[in-house]
Amino acid sequence: MDERGERLLKAWETPKGWRYWSAVNNSEVGLWYTLTAFAFFLFGGVLALVIRIQLAVPENDWLTPEQYNQVFTMHGSVMMFLFAVPILEAISILLLPQMMGARDLPFPRLSAYGFWCFLIGGVFVCGSLFFGVGPRGGWFMYPPMTTEYQTDVGPDIWLLGLSFIEVASIAAAVELIVGALKCRPPGMRLNLIPLYAWYILVVAVMILFAFPPLIAGDLLMELERALDWPFFDADRGGDPLLWQHLFWIFGHPEVYIVFLPSIALVAMIVPTFARTPMAGYGWIVLAAVGTGFLSFGLWVHHMFTTGLPGITIGIFSAASEAVAIPTGVQIFCFIATLLIGRVTKSVCLLFVLAGLATFIIGGLTGVMVAIAPFDYQAHDTYFIVGHLHYVLVGGTIFPIIAGLYYYYPFVTGKQLSERLGMITFWLMLVGFNVAFFPMHLTGLIGMPRRVYTYPSGMGFEIPNLISTAGAFVLGAGFVVLLWDLVRPKGGQPLVKRNIWNAGTLEWIAEVPDRPWGIRSIPIISTRYPLWEQDNLMSDVDDGKFYLPDAEEGLRETLVTSTVDAEPMQCLRVPGPTFLTFFAALFTGGVFIFSTYHWWVAAGVSGALSFITILIWLWTGTALIPEKDNKDVGLGLSLPIYVSGPSAVGWWAMFITMLGDMTAFVSLVFGYFFYWTVHEQFPPAEFDGREIIGPGTAWPLVSVGLGVVAWIAVIAARSSNRSDRSGWFYSMIGGSVLLAIGSAAALVWGPITAGMDPTHHAYSAAVCVLVLWTVVHLSVGVVMLVYCAARRLAGRMDARHDADIVNVTLCWHFLLLTVAVTGSVIALFPKVS
Amino acid sequence: MNRLPSQSTLENAGEGARQVAELFYAMTIGGAVIWLIVIGLAVYAIFQPTRHNAIKTRLLVIGGGAVFPTIVLTGLLSYGLAMLPDLQRPAPEGSQVIEVAGVRWWWRVTYRLPTGDRIETANEIHLPVNEAVEFKLTSEDVIHTFWIPSIGGKVDMIPGRENRLKLFPTKVGHYRGVCAEFCGAAHAQMSFDVIVETREEFDKWLSQLQTPAAGQSHRGHAVFAGRGCGACHSIRGTSSDGVVGPDLTHVGSRRSIGAAILPNEPANLKHWIRNTCEVKPGVEMPSFEAISSDELDALVDYLGSLR
Amino acid sequence: MSKPMERHAQSEPRPMRQQLWWIALGPSIWAVHFLACYLTAAIWCEKFASAGSANSPLWWLIGVYSVIALVGLIVVSVMSFRSFRRGDPPVSYDFDDPHERTPFLGFTAYLLSLLSIVATLFTVLVFLLVRSCD
Repeated sequence: MDERGERLLKAWETPKGWRYWSAVNNSEVGLWYTLTAFAFFLFGGVLALVIRIQLAVPENDWLTPEQYNQVFTMHGSVMMFLFAVPILEAISILLLPQMMGARDLPFPRLSAYGFWCFLIGGVFVCGSLFFGVGPRGGWFMYPPMTTEYQTDVGPDIWLLGLSFIEVASIAAAVELIVGALKCRPPGMRLNLIPLYAWYILVVAVMILFAFPPLIAGDLLMELERALDWPFFDADRGGDPLLWQHLFWIFGHPEVYIVFLPSIALVAMIVPTFARTPMAGYGWIVLAAVGTGFLSFGLWVHHMFTTGLPGITIGIFSAASEAVAIPTGVQIFCFIATLLIGRVTKSVCLLFVLAGLATFIIGGLTGVMVAIAPFDYQAHDTYFIVGHLHYVLVGGTIFPIIAGLYYYYPFVTGKQLSERLGMITFWLMLVGFNVAFFPMHLTGLIGMPRRVYTYPSGMGFEIPNLISTAGAFVLGAGFVVLLWDLVRPKGGQPLVKRNIWNAGTLEWIAEVPDRPWGIRSIPIISTRYPLWEQDNLMSDVDDGKFYLPDAEEGLRETLVTSTVDAEPMQCLRVPGPTFLTFFAALFTGGVFIFSTYHWWVAAGVSGALSFITILIWLWTGTALIPEKDNKDVGLGLSLPIYVSGPSAVGWWAMFITMLGDMTAFVSLVFGYFFYWTVHEQFPPAEFDGREIIGPGTAWPLVSVGLGVVAWIAVIAARSSNRSDRSGWFYSMIGGSVLLAIGSAAALVWGPITAGMDPTHHAYSAAVCVLVLWTVVHLSVGVVMLVYCAARRLAGRMDARHDADIVNVTLCWHFLLLTVAVTGSVIALFPKVS
Repeated sequence: MNRLPSQSTLENAGEGARQVAELFYAMTIGGAVIWLIVIGLAVYAIFQPTRHNAIKTRLLVIGGGAVFPTIVLTGLLSYGLAMLPDLQRPAPEGSQVIEVAGVRWWWRVTYRLPTGDRIETANEIHLPVNEAVEFKLTSEDVIHTFWIPSIGGKVDMIPGRENRLKLFPTKVGHYRGVCAEFCGAAHAQMSFDVIVETREEFDKWLSQLQTPAAGQSHRGHAVFAGRGCGACHSIRGTSSDGVVGPDLTHVGSRRSIGAAILPNEPANLKHWIRNTCEVKPGVEMPSFEAISSDELDALVDYLGSLR
Repeated sequence: MSKPMERHAQSEPRPMRQQLWWIALGPSIWAVHFLACYLTAAIWCEKFASAGSANSPLWWLIGVYSVIALVGLIVVSVMSFRSFRRGDPPVSYDFDDPHERTPFLGFTAYLLSLLSIVATLFTVLVFLLVRSCD
């Protein structure tokens, strides 16, 4: 290796010894993430077997109802929140940069932070089961059961522990969107990106809009549980159905959020084994984007039996049917590719086939239950259990196993055994179908879901016993797979490079892989560069393309334009640190201590997490480089520091704030939801006391001050740019004071009026909007002070102004939040 | 083991259930055909070695992946939507109205009489055959779901709301209803009996239901009162007027006890009273372990006499 | 080397005509129409519908929404269709010429607008077949 290569290797070196855990590079974090998610999957699988043992025979009392309820709640929650979503993020963190010839994702520390949050939160939630205090309200947590009838910590563990993990999911979504849009190799225009990246882009955007409503719901439920704000208490104007709406606005897209990334793996595997490019690239993108959109129009089909008008049911039934069209398109694209190509058979492809066969059954039963009259019967029965497992195992698990066989050599340099693979395949395929096919029948003959036992004499005995037997066969398949994964393979030689003879860029990785990701970042002009671009591998290896060197010993990758992937920036990405671990630990502390109402500890933990994150930002982001431009190779010179809409940080802020807005909109939705479902909302008086509103004046004063604060922020940005320090500091100072004033006015209205959030759902809804806005304004104030400090410390100047530019962007959203909150609570519905 | 009454959606004992079962069979056959074709194609694609013409396979994507599903789904959706108005429409004026409230973990059943009176019973619902019946469904605590699979679809019972459901039983017989929404500890043991009978039998039963209980002089009544059962349970015509638990005025005539978890036989009733919390974990009623066998015999005999 | 690659080697680089958001336009129109129909129907049925009312204002509103949405979708699909047809006809596996990328976004946007039209018509179908708030 030449001198340049040595330097590059040094820059990307993985830390050794105990410092290994300070790594933030996508290959390490992605691997930890994958292994952790897989461990949670095995845990969830064991819980499934426990469920099946309990249900093997009628009137079984092996588990008490409370134990069983904890087990099935945790099975669902673990599989959804700790396996299905994280595994997609894990695999993407591991693979996406490699597929796009990037050295890393744009925010490696954010990925690491997300991983540690996930690990800590996951262990906390799962651990509760061993102390007998696990959540037991089902993974859907319907109030009022989970608010008024479960006063132990179980629901709090669920709400806070999983909210914490959802935050990590959103962090990963931000990372993946920016990664897919901005960190592609030069020339990889939108029509050339690997299909995997298309799917991940769609899924990450879906996460951004699907998870915040659940976080908003979690917030409302936790406020009801901890402070008695009656959002879901029907006796005080609340409505349990609001939770169901918020939960399923998350919950249905969730199904596609876990399904699409797995199909994305199939879209990578099929062309490789068919030895031909994917047929109908544009059709697949249609399917991915179309499914992403339509999946947000299905949530009410989980609520068909809640007594809604036929019209509403019909609308959601129609959308639920429409979503089958894009799904069908992608399946036919895969089949067409296999028809066009000359297929090489492998265990990998068998799992793809098993996935298709299984998923199509799930899809067809899905079309059936989307027809509302059939759902009236099938809803909440074992038919649905069968249906959803066919969808999730066929659409997610089998493709992931196919992906495991496919990418195992990529990660380890060794290959999984084809012989053991065949055993695994048959055990899983047979076991799965024996376990789950009879459930359709069990449901139709009347067995409801979530029952810890069932009486004999109604024909439930035999199908349940068969299901249990099948579950253990399926379990055996996983044992064989696990053995194959962990058995010592020392004797096996390393596989050859690009073992499957694939066409996509990730297979350019050397065996064993080097931490730099790729020797030099190539110019891409086709969808399958390893097939269609001559000498690509040797040119890349010889460092003939971009960034073959790390002259400054820093980690660098390329940022390109969104559509045409023209090089725009040489992005320096941060290296190893323990800061992200501690930030996650302290953030976790806030959630975990709050569960037990240890408010002081939670406060201390919160302060520590705040400080850690500030240190992280201060020392690791928007650093002013030693020179403006850098020669990245091939005679191209790119800026190192970029601010504004072409900077990745700006995109991350924008995307994060979109997610934040979605949560806010969910809260506003709740406010109006109460109005629609009540004859009169708010009533003039309730429980013998007059219902008080916040008045008109103070909220509107708050909006006014917010607008002026926002103008001052913009003025601060331009005075920074024109290097007028005095103006800059006074504008920052002014906006801070105005923001504080705006927050104070917003709080002052309800306080002077004497509003009591526990009085009625209306009072609670007003107060939660105020609370949300005040917290946001506080964050906005902290950001402004941070910018002033940055300039004072010489870490921001007229040209290097990413901090204030991003903060201004955030303030646009803050303004919207203040304006909506102020005008909604002041003007609609008007309560004087 | 005794055969329990049917809880099957394929039993065909009601108009709604029949329509849905037909829909189910049609969709299943159609689905099976589609599955066989698609998977046959996939297997063929993988296991045959020749390459196929790319233009023709394009047509496959357009035809099989887009056009065909659109046509089939449009047809199916229209069929499903066309069923909706009839299923959703309330029962005609003058139909029997039955209020059912879900309570953890049993069913409070109230018949509205033509006179305007309301008469309460629990865990057993009688329906006249070949007549539409309108249910008013509420909950007193958490969300439950009211479901008689053999007769028709289910509807949730949600605190703060009154949902409605129309059923049209078409076959005389004994069926089981069940709570379908997870509602906590004893969700698995929240069932009820459904008796579909001729109009004459139904009227007879309903008028019997309106009579207060007799047998105040029975020794078992003294036990009932003395043990404080009346704090939670009502027996109309006596001083026991609790409203927390199921009404027991005609408990002796019911098919089962404990929300349809045990057949209503003296031995079971004794077991239930002594070991309530073991028979139905989570139940709100305490176990009366300390009751003497003598008292228990009298109590069970008394309850059995309430017909 | 396949034919598209030769064409690619000869053609001049040219930026894409459309931006990424263009492909989201069709589905967004569906989404707005869908939400408008759902919210209008939900509010109408909760607040204004009474037994036996003909519900005609609701159906008029939905009709207006649908006409607007469908016109919008047709415009998007025609524009997208033109933009992708202007390029070379798609080759065997719709390998867009790497330097003639306009067809890709146009083609995908076209397909998505067709899907959105179908989905919108499905919503309209509901109002044709279910005519009351029961």
